[in-house]
Amino acid sequence: MAGGSRKYGKKDGDRYDASKKKFAGKKRKDFEDESAYDEGIPDGNEAEGVPEAAKHFIEVEGERQGEDEYGAKDYRDLQLKPDHKSRPLWVAPNGHIFLESFSPVYKHAHDFLIAISEPVCRPEHIHEYKLTSYSLYAAVSVGLQTHDIIEYLKRLSKTAVPDGIVDFIKISTLSYGKVKLVLKHNRYFVESQYPDVIQKLLKDPVIQECRLRHSVESSTDGLITQVQSKATSIQFGKPGTSGEEPGEEGKQVPDDISNFYDKMDKDEDDEDDSSLQTVAFEVNQEKIEVIQKRCIQLEYPLLAEYDFRNDTHNQDINIDLRPAAVLRPYQEKSLRKMFGNGRARSGLIVLPCGAGKSLVGVTACCTVRKRALVLCNSGVSVEQWKAQFKMWSTADDSMICRFTSDAKDKPHGCSILITTFNMITHQQKRSYEADQTMKWLQEQEWGIMVLDEVHTIPARMFRRVLTIVQAHCKLGLTATLVREDDKIADLNFLIGPKLYEANWLELQKRGFIARVQCAEVWCPMSPEFYREYLACKSAKKMLLFVMNPNKFRACQFLIRYHERRNDKIIVFSDNVYALKHYALTMNKPFIYGPTSQNERLQILQNFKLNPKVNTIFVSKVADTSFDLPDANVLIQISSHGGSRRQEAQRLGRILRAKKGAIAEEYNAFFYTLVSQDTLEMSFSRKRQRFLVNQGYSYKVITRMAGMDQDQELNYKNKEEQANLLQMVLTASDIDADEERVPGEIGGRPGPFGRRVGTMASMSGADDAVYMEYKRPSASNNLSKHPLFKKYRTK
Amino acid sequence: MVNATEGVLVECADAAMKQLLLHLDEKLPPDKKFILHDLDETHVFIASKHLEFLQSEIDCFMDSVSFPLAEKD
Repeated sequence: MAGGSRKYGKKDGDRYDASKKKFAGKKRKDFEDESAYDEGIPDGNEAEGVPEAAKHFIEVEGERQGEDEYGAKDYRDLQLKPDHKSRPLWVAPNGHIFLESFSPVYKHAHDFLIAISEPVCRPEHIHEYKLTSYSLYAAVSVGLQTHDIIEYLKRLSKTAVPDGIVDFIKISTLSYGKVKLVLKHNRYFVESQYPDVIQKLLKDPVIQECRLRHSVESSTDGLITQVQSKATSIQFGKPGTSGEEPGEEGKQVPDDISNFYDKMDKDEDDEDDSSLQTVAFEVNQEKIEVIQKRCIQLEYPLLAEYDFRNDTHNQDINIDLRPAAVLRPYQEKSLRKMFGNGRARSGLIVLPCGAGKSLVGVTACCTVRKRALVLCNSGVSVEQWKAQFKMWSTADDSMICRFTSDAKDKPHGCSILITTFNMITHQQKRSYEADQTMKWLQEQEWGIMVLDEVHTIPARMFRRVLTIVQAHCKLGLTATLVREDDKIADLNFLIGPKLYEANWLELQKRGFIARVQCAEVWCPMSPEFYREYLACKSAKKMLLFVMNPNKFRACQFLIRYHERRNDKIIVFSDNVYALKHYALTMNKPFIYGPTSQNERLQILQNFKLNPKVNTIFVSKVADTSFDLPDANVLIQISSHGGSRRQEAQRLGRILRAKKGAIAEEYNAFFYTLVSQDTLEMSFSRKRQRFLVNQGYSYKVITRMAGMDQDQELNYKNKEEQANLLQMVLTASDIDADEERVPGEIGGRPGPFGRRVGTMASMSGADDAVYMEYKRPSASNNLSKHPLFKKYRTK
Repeated sequence: MVNATEGVLVECADAAMKQLLLHLDEKLPPDKKFILHDLDETHVFIASKHLEFLQSEIDCFMDSVSFPLAEKD
């Protein structure tokens, strides 16, 4: 269709003109905008784009539930069913659901609960889930119907399901998922199985405007009615490998549960079975956003689906999975949710670090077989994604294009573009090359957009990505769907519902990820250090508890212990001063912000291959997407406050399954060193919440056997400790600060991407207005003298 | 003339804990000071009339460095 491409061209031109005219004024504003990237700062317009029904919170409604004399919730008045023993669930009136993981129908119930609710806490025996409107929305979008959800919940529950819950499910699901926005043959259609809903929508004046009417319509009302033939569901991997084995579990399972489960399973696979009648009308492509917003206001949010097989306008790209790439059952299951009815849905897939998120991404791209755009959050992970594509799929160098500040491949003719969020949203002047690539990128219609580590992007930045990139379906990948602010919910509506979330402990049991022993090592503060700690102000406090000589000794002891076992050890420190001191004293290599790309690679290579380099020290630059497959011991000496996400991401560095996995009880170790009786204790507790909810338990070690006897540890006598204290006390406030990584989201926003002008702009041939407002290059964090930084932060 | 003050011997589990006591003592006005004698690394002798106050102070401090896990976020 010629109209399609022309439209993009035109829009594109407009944007460029406008940006030139407004450049001067816009610049400042954008700069302010960027400073709002900070996690803690609330945005005013966050609520828009979230449907009304999502604001019903059931917890408040359930609060009238009585409490017993110990302050716990009193559920004694819930009546048990006579055959409650064979049913696995308790459904509490406040929307929390408790699941017995030892129940024979656990597997059935678990799959169902994952689909309809959010996991809250999943230790070994009893799992807690919570019904939220978002989770129900997700359930509808993967094809569950309101009455199915209620019916199945009733059957699984040991008690009668409270009326409030039934109502809540109805409110949250009845209007969701009724209407779909489908892209077929490059025309957008609003499609529904419910003619009355379509009629209702069409009565709305705003929607009428968005509707595209052809002059000749066959039927009187202009609606397109069609009978859908049975859609073939997509097979991943070999047909035999699908995780359903009808084993001996049938015995104790009440018939109604297992029958229903089978039905449910079928529903998910090919819900468009038999002849479903759908009604649709075509929408003007330019009004897509208007209609989406309007439908949300009308309480009928549009579910975006992409019928990629019938998309003839965008040419197929020639990639396939290599035969060697075998999907694990959970990877397959997550992809089945995404491609459930032969179309691609947008949404989020949550898998632990090291469980093979990249393979899921690569497989999704290979399934859609249209141009793919992969967005990740650092240059290093761009390289890693490229390697993953080459490893798992038939894509070669000529098909993959990297677009980062260091590597700019020629984009033309490539089918997979890998870049970073910052590169796309970068707003300053780009180099000519980059500019060309961006133009090209904007002109393309992307089949699929994969967003790696999606929890790191703030909604605002993500919206900007959406205005730049035209993608038919979006897949968000993450391990940790938590933020210290509650912006995660927004992702549901910006990208799509959560399609799948894996259970960490289960993957661990089956050997897909490493078995990790988490330990918190309590290091007593030395009296001198503690005295100073009590007396000084907060910035210095942090440095004092990180530099605690007993902590240093514990760290050294652990390193020596694990080096003797031939383990590979990573030591994390957020504080650069401590990082350098520890690493230099122990004579180990270290990586932090200013370390050059070359040196980093060299250190990492050595760590991987050189048997003499068993320990490296890293700052928080290595938190995410630093793939260190061989490391199996992680020691954390300082961290970013109480961030649960950081804790989980760090654990992820050692989660990749180890060779010879089942041999020992644990094959990976995660130590957090904590100075006793200091603020660190409370941080440490806060950080652990996420992993505890995933079922991990922490062992507290208060003293390590043999540490006192070890004569080779540093700081064994008072003089050495006193010298260290002197050194710490003379250290400046800047040293006490945590490292700020330029461009990091969550910290102070640095400048994004690189700032290289064209020849013309360097010689001053550019627009004079533009030059006046160009920020001085001193805003580059790296070139900033510490002195200025100090004044700026005050 | 002999001055007698009733006191309690306090043994601290680690040396750092004693530093906390010294620190608390330093911050107080002269009439509230409770430490009578600083004996050695882990022992101090304190006035028994301030014992209750001291116990509540330390409880407060310990609460400030711990985080209740049970609380729902």
